[in-house]
Parts: sequence; C-alpha cells; structure tokens
Amino acid sequence: MGKEELREELLKQLHEGVVEFEEDQVKEAAQRVLDEGLNVYDAVMNGLAAGMQEVGELYDQHEYFVPELLMAADALYVGLDILRPHIKMEDLGDKPKGQVVIGTVQGDVHDIGKNIIKMMFDVAGFTVHDLGRDVPLEKFVEEQLNTDSEIVALSAMMTTTMMGMEKVIKMIKEKNPNVAIMLGGAPVTSDTADLFGADGYAESAGNAVQEAIKMIGRLREMQAK
Amino acid sequence: MTDMTSRERVLKLFAREPVDTMPCFSGQGMVTVPAIDSVGIPFPQIHLTAENMAESAIKSMEMFDFDAAVVPYDMCTIPEAFGLGVSIYENAEGILFPTIPKKWPSPDEVVIPEDYLERARMPVVDGAIKLLKEKIGTTHAIGTWILGPFTLAGQLVELDVLMKMAYKEKAKVEALLDKIVDLTIDLGRHYREIGADFVSLREMGTGADLISPKMFKKLIQPRLRKIFEAWDSPKILHICGSTDLIIELMNDCGAEVISVDHKNTLSESRSKIGNDILLFGDYDGFNLPSKASGEEIQEAIKKCIDSGVDAVWPGCDIWPDVKSENMQAINNAIKEFGRVSTPAVGRL
Repeated sequence: MGKEELREELLKQLHEGVVEFEEDQVKEAAQRVLDEGLNVYDAVMNGLAAGMQEVGELYDQHEYFVPELLMAADALYVGLDILRPHIKMEDLGDKPKGQVVIGTVQGDVHDIGKNIIKMMFDVAGFTVHDLGRDVPLEKFVEEQLNTDSEIVALSAMMTTTMMGMEKVIKMIKEKNPNVAIMLGGAPVTSDTADLFGADGYAESAGNAVQEAIKMIGRLREMQAK
Repeated sequence: MTDMTSRERVLKLFAREPVDTMPCFSGQGMVTVPAIDSVGIPFPQIHLTAENMAESAIKSMEMFDFDAAVVPYDMCTIPEAFGLGVSIYENAEGILFPTIPKKWPSPDEVVIPEDYLERARMPVVDGAIKLLKEKIGTTHAIGTWILGPFTLAGQLVELDVLMKMAYKEKAKVEALLDKIVDLTIDLGRHYREIGADFVSLREMGTGADLISPKMFKKLIQPRLRKIFEAWDSPKILHICGSTDLIIELMNDCGAEVISVDHKNTLSESRSKIGNDILLFGDYDGFNLPSKASGEEIQEAIKKCIDSGVDAVWPGCDIWPDVKSENMQAINNAIKEFGRVSTPAVGRL
C-alpha cells in the first residue's frame, strides 16, 4: 500500500470510527498514523473532525440525537488523546486558532452541551480553558483576564439559570470590550442573546454543535486552499 | 364572569366540562419575586420550610390572580432525600435555584431509601401542600409536580452517562427507571391524598433535542403509560424542548393533558393529536413575564389560543423576577381571550 493510499485508508477508519462510535477502531487507526509517520494534524482534521462533521449532519437530519453525539465524542477523544501531543507547530502554521474560556454558569449543573462545544474547540486547535459547571460568575471574568482569551463561551440549560449570563457579559465587557462572547443552551434565544449583549448565540446544544462544526468546516476549507 | 371559583374552573377544565373562561395557572413553578418581596422571604428561604413555601405560593397566586398555587419550586427534593445533598446558594447574588452537587456514577449504584418521604425536604413539600389545602383549598386549585422517570434518573446519575448507558448497558438504565416508576406512582398518589388537586409529570429530559423518538418509544413511553394507568385523573404529561417529532407518542402515553413549550408547533400538534385531548402551552416563561411589551403579551397569548390550546400556561417554570405589570397583563389576556370555547372544552 502506497503512502497516499495508506493515508486515505486511515482517514477513513478515523472518520468511520467517530461516526459509528467505534473507539477501538479509532485507537488503532490513530496509533498507525503515528507509527507510519503520517501528518498528525491531517489525521485530526480530515479524519476525526471530518467524522464529527458527518455526525453533526446526521444530528441535523434527526438521524442522530444527543446520546449518539456523546458516543461519537468519546470515540473522537480516544483519537485526539493519542494524536494531539504529536501535532507540530509548523503543521498549524497560520491557521486560525485562539483561546476560549468555557463553562456552565452558577446554578446550572448540566454540562453536556458545554462539553460538546469544548470538544469542537479542542479539535479546531483552540486552547480551551474549561471552568466546569456551576461556575461562580466572577470566575469567568478572572479566567478571561488571566488567559487573555479571545472568546468566552457560556452555557445554561435552564431558564432559571440563564440570567447569570447577562451579568457575566456585563462584567467581562466592562473589563475588556473586545472579547467575543458566545451563548448556548436550551433556553437561550437570539432575542435573549441580543438583549444580554452577546456576540454569538446557539439555540441549543445541537445547534451549537452545528455552529462549531461549521467553524471547523470553514477551517478545513481554508486549509485545503 | 360567573361565580365559579378558581378551583372549580381548574377542575372543570381538567374534566373537560364547560367553564366560564380559561383558568390562569401552571403545572410548573410559578413563584414570583414581587410576591416574596412583599412578604419579606428571601429567595433561598422559600425552599426550606413548609410555611415559606406555602406563603410564597399563595402570595404569588393572589398578587396576579392565578387560579392555582403550585409547589415545590426546585427539582432536588427527591435526589436530596436519597442522600445526594443539595446546594441552596444562600449567599449568592440574585436568583439561583437549588442544585444537586454530586450524583451516583452509575444507575446500578443508586440507592432509594425506604423512608425517603421522611428525609430532607420531602416533609417540607408535604407540609406546604397541607398548608395550601388548609388555607386556599376551597377556593383555589393546588398543584404539584414530579419529574418523569428519565429526567429524575438524570438528577441521580449524570445525564451523559445515563444517555450513553441507555445504548450500551440498557438493562441497568431500565432497572433504575423501573424503580423510579414505582416510586413515582406512589408519590403521585401520596400528593393527591394530602391535598393536591393535580400532579404534573415533567419528563423534560426526553424531548427530541435530546433523545430519539425511537428511544422515547422503547424506553420512555411504556414507563409513562404505567404511571398514568396507575394515577387518578387528571393525568398531565409535560415535556419541554423539541416535541414536534414526539407529539403523537406523547399522545399515546395515557395522559389526559399534554403540555409543551414554545418550541412546539402548536397548531400542527393539535391537528396531529385531534380534539379529544387537552393541550396546554406554551408561552415563554422568561421573555413574556420579564421583558415583553404589553402589545407582545396580547399577541403571544392570542396566538397560543388561536393555535388550539385548552389552557395557556408557561412552557417551563416562570422566571421568578417578573415585572408585575407583565404578569398581570398575561393573566388578564388569558382571561379575556379565553372566554371562547377551545378544541376540547366548551364555555358556559
């Protein structure tokens, strides 16, 4: 098997492994990428991330739902954990990347949506500062200032907790008006996001996945140019 | 308006008998900050004693002319009674509802204590229902709610673990759900015995933005059927989030009332389920009471009624920090536009 043929085969295994939640298949293919000295970043973006892109499309078509997303995410992380330590800085080149602070606001212990979005940022090559869930509001401000992150992503799954988002946005924008703030979670609407002064919004965990996947799709397109 | 009491209005609606106008109420939390401020009870304290819970419910009801009072306000009473603890956020700024700080790692590790009704805040909820019965039981309806089996399981075990295990280790998830079903049947009956006029089953972790209709049909529907077969009327099933894809499955669970939120396409749902069942929904419990203009409120309530609901009620807990004029305008609009017959209920 030639090098290009092998590359295609392993990318396919990574892609399918994510789509079909086959963690062992992903593990084996990721290890072979390293053993054969193939481009690791290529394997992440065109194998794992491409697989997740298809998962997002299946979610959009109501073929997949959150349990399937979670299982695909587990498979993706199996591959990412093996490959990511070996990504070379020169592979990344001048491709877009940055830092994001992410967390679920105080009073909300639901973190499925947040974890899915975190994964997408991870895959896209962002440095992710995950504050976890039930995070005191001032912690978001502190972490953004400490890390100088370009993005703060806030999640709330319940109407009863989303009001904390408005406070965080005000607190962060007061300190640093250039930070882009993304909101996500079931109760958040585009009107709410506007009202709270956010820069970006995702209607639900699934919609946020779509947005993140589109972001990765754009990243991959830029790479291909 | 006739001399029908609020309680009669609600109970007749549930029985699908003619009413004078649509009642204003909810199957979810409807405590408000203006009400608790007026009686000087700080938000974290409304969850902690039967007196505070009942007083805040009654004051919220009276202040905005609701036809019912509903307790409790948070989703942690049962998990807390199982020994998982609770975070009340007593010193936090603003409104934070209680949460469960830790959960069991796997469904097969969940332990349901036999005496859970005596533990933690379960006696507080019992006490509040009894106080409501004593103070407003002849004039107003008394409502309570219980989380559906899958949603409650998600309060006991992390939801992501539960969802993945529903695929990979289904038997363990099913065993936990079955235990919860038995508990829910008993608890619903208990709440009715001590004074609740209605118990809403809130299975909000099973909308189609979370699990597939296929999983709903296989894992959730049989268990909801078992609960509703065992409960007396009225039998209320509430699911918020994406319900368009499962509305027919919801209609086949044995409930007499289907309640949805504003993500549901009401008019389509009504045509799918027919006029032989009560459909409740679906105003936005945050934007309408807290942010909307008077005109937007009128429009939203009218739209709900025109889309075929038998009672306009919020799709989730009302965000407590309501503007008083908005909350009153919502209930006024419901009473005004609700004078005409709805698909399942006539008018006097």
